[in-house]
This record gives sequence, structure tokens and C-alpha cells, in this order.
Amino acid sequence: MSEAHLHFQYEDIEHQSDSALDGMWLFLAQEILFFGALFFAWLLNRHYHPLGYHRAAQQTDLLIGSINTVLLITSSATYALGLRFIQVGDRVRLFRFCAVTVLLGAVFLALKGLEWHEDLAKHMNPGLYFGLSGPDAGGAQLFWCFYWVATALHGVHMAVGIGLVLWLLAHIRNGAYSAAWHTPVEVVGIYWSFVDVIWLILYPLIYLVGRPG
Amino acid sequence: MMPLLRPVAAVWLALGVLFAVELAGAFTGWGHGFGGLLLVPAAVMVLLVGFFFMRVRQAGRLARFFALAALFWLLVLLGLGSIDPMTRTVFPVTVTRYP
Repeated sequence: MSEAHLHFQYEDIEHQSDSALDGMWLFLAQEILFFGALFFAWLLNRHYHPLGYHRAAQQTDLLIGSINTVLLITSSATYALGLRFIQVGDRVRLFRFCAVTVLLGAVFLALKGLEWHEDLAKHMNPGLYFGLSGPDAGGAQLFWCFYWVATALHGVHMAVGIGLVLWLLAHIRNGAYSAAWHTPVEVVGIYWSFVDVIWLILYPLIYLVGRPG
Repeated sequence: MMPLLRPVAAVWLALGVLFAVELAGAFTGWGHGFGGLLLVPAAVMVLLVGFFFMRVRQAGRLARFFALAALFWLLVLLGLGSIDPMTRTVFPVTVTRYP
């Protein structure tokens, strides 16, 4: 069964599977540096504008941010469960857990959209009509620049992840994966959990650091 | 079914507890001042997801090398980049100008 998926350039199915997983890890290595530059911007600007950053962080919606964190942690767990079930050949449960994962991801994006709407209503968009004023407003604007860029980039990655899991769902329905061959499920799972990892770092940077005790 | 569910449920619970610690920490003053303490539970959560959901230990040698290389270059980016701004008040820089 698994040999039917073997492409001509690989020695065997294991070689093909390892290459796919290595490729995803290489892609994620550059993604870590891509987001690393953003984390560096946060570190540097917060160092120079701590009061502005603290004031700006208090304007973020902690409730939505926290719910979204729980959703993403849960989605990584549901995906991991799906992967475990296909490893023993249970395609039905893989389908169900992937569907739940997509649903959780979609709710995450919907809540993020709602949060962005609220942020705009509070004029938390840097520029002429920024909602905060005073000596710390400059630092606060830098925080919100970070917020918009970081959450938008993370949102794009989430949308790509949802697209990938939907693509998997279509293939699972056609009976594509089995205990012997499920490399695409593993590859997409690594990507999905990576998007979760980025959020786990963004969450304290955006919502928690700067909250008064 | 239970043997498959149990390890994932355990990691999920651990992540939930760490999330609660992180959130509670923000309201007990960890987030004020430097705020670095709040990143400790976050770092442990990242490790849990990396080891148990991304299964970095089960990955091949090359994949593990890519993961380690990424962390190394991230440390270079954050560490080397922040040395000057973080230490300038401790070790003032004397500006020398060309004649």
C-alpha cells in the first residue's frame, strides 16, 4: 500500500518520508528566524520605551487572548490524537480529530477578527488618530505596531494551517492515509504545532508583560 | 483507545496548568518591571509542544540539526543584537570620531 506513494527519486518509502519531514523542519528553521526578528523588535523597543509598552499592553483584550491560547493548545492536542489514531490505522478518528482541529483554528481566527475590530474601535492603530496621548504615547505606538504586524503574520500562518488541514480532510475522505503511509499528516502536524508555539511566545509578550500586579 | 489518549491528555493538562500559572503570574506582579519571569512558563510550554506534539526527539538527525541550528541562530540574533542596548548604561560607550 505505502509503496504506491513512492516517488521515483527516493530509494524507499522511509527515505521519502524522512525527506518530507526534514524539508518541513528546514522550512520551520527559517520561520523561527523570521519571527525571531519580530521578537527582537519587541525586546529592543520595550527596553527603550518600558512605560509606553506597559500602558499599551493594558489596552489589549486579555480575555480573547487567553481564550485563543486555550483554543490553540487544545487544537495541537486534538491533532496529535488524530495522528496517533492513524498510526494504528484508524482513519475515521483521524478525520474527526482533524475536523475538530480545523474548527478550533477557525474559532481562533474569528475571535482574532473580533479583537482586531475592538482594537480599531479604541483607535489602537498607530498614526494620526492614535487613541493614547501623553509622554508615553510614542512607546505605546511602537507596541501597537508590533501587535498588528505580529498578530497579522500569525493569522496568515493560521489560515495556511487551516487550509492544509482542510486539504488533508479531503484526502482522508478519499481513503488516502493508512498506518503504513501517513507522512503528510505528520508534516502538517509539525507545521500546526509550530503555529501554536509562535502564539505561546506572542501571548505573554502582548497580553501579560506590563499588566499591573 | 485509552492508551492512545492518555499521553496526549497528560501533555494537554500540563499545558493548561502552565497557562494558568502564567496568567496568575501576570496578576501577581510578574509582568511588571522586567517581566522575564512570565516567559519561564511560556518556555516550558514551548518545550512540551516541541517534544510531545512536534515530536522533535523522534525526528531524524537532519531534522534535529535544523531545529538546533534555528535555536542557535535565534540566540545569536537576540543575544548579540541586545548586548549593546542592554549594557550601555553599565558600560558607557565612548564615541570616537575620525579627525
